[in-house]
Amino acid sequence: MRRRFGMLLLLVLATTLAATAALAADDPKQRQDLAAVIALQGLPCGEVVSYVVKGDNDYVASCKDGNRYRVFVNPEGRVVVQKQ
Amino acid sequence: MNPVWRAEAAFVLAIAGCAAAPPVESPPAAIAPATAKQASASAPPSKPASQPADAKAPAKASPAPPKALALAKPQVSPSIAPKAEAAPALDIKSLEEQLKETKAIGVMTKLSLKNQVDDLLQRFRDFYEGRLKTTLAELRQPYELLLMKVIALLQDADAPLASAIHRSREAIWAVLSDRDKFSKLA
Repeated sequence: MRRRFGMLLLLVLATTLAATAALAADDPKQRQDLAAVIALQGLPCGEVVSYVVKGDNDYVASCKDGNRYRVFVNPEGRVVVQKQ
Repeated sequence: MNPVWRAEAAFVLAIAGCAAAPPVESPPAAIAPATAKQASASAPPSKPASQPADAKAPAKASPAPPKALALAKPQVSPSIAPKAEAAPALDIKSLEEQLKETKAIGVMTKLSLKNQVDDLLQRFRDFYEGRLKTTLAELRQPYELLLMKVIALLQDADAPLASAIHRSREAIWAVLSDRDKFSKLA
């Protein structure tokens, strides 16, 4: 009984941690990279304060000025920045 | 990551322009002769630095140079001399490696730059094939803008690479603005 409870608790904990990691990340270099990409497209942002990982090379970045952009690589290999 | 590195390599080859185009005159990347020509045109001595980037290059070279270089030249073989004087000259392979390894810009930024380089090359292609009604002078602007973006991204975290790219601007433009050289590149 105890063992099952412990395993269940562990499973819940692991799932929660994984989900949290997938939702929001905070790598300063990644934020910088996203800010640079947005700037390269000539879009206003200033500084990326946070971002969410949606998938492989797919992010939603939140900027200091309030703008939010989805930054991703499309199937043709082009980096696309879409205002959210 | 493989596609990314290949993209970077293509980016480097695209902006450098010399890798695919066999150097017209001598190996040390067509840049050396190009810069050498510029040097002879402006100030014989030279450090090819005839470029504005001269400010960076040991300015002492300019005035005194004639004697100094006259002495220095014989000491170095022709193949090396251009390299030495053109310290600014770009070593394509080395640049490729540096761009691949630079931590100054991230993967997404490298990809984005590559996209923009491809777009610019396409504009040149269209121009040479008559599909784009513009002039070379008008194409210079987006070229300069793109290089500035690259340099701006690199200058803080990878100043030597930014400097190397800056010094090769004219050489790269010489390739892009020459139909024959560009066709070999494209």
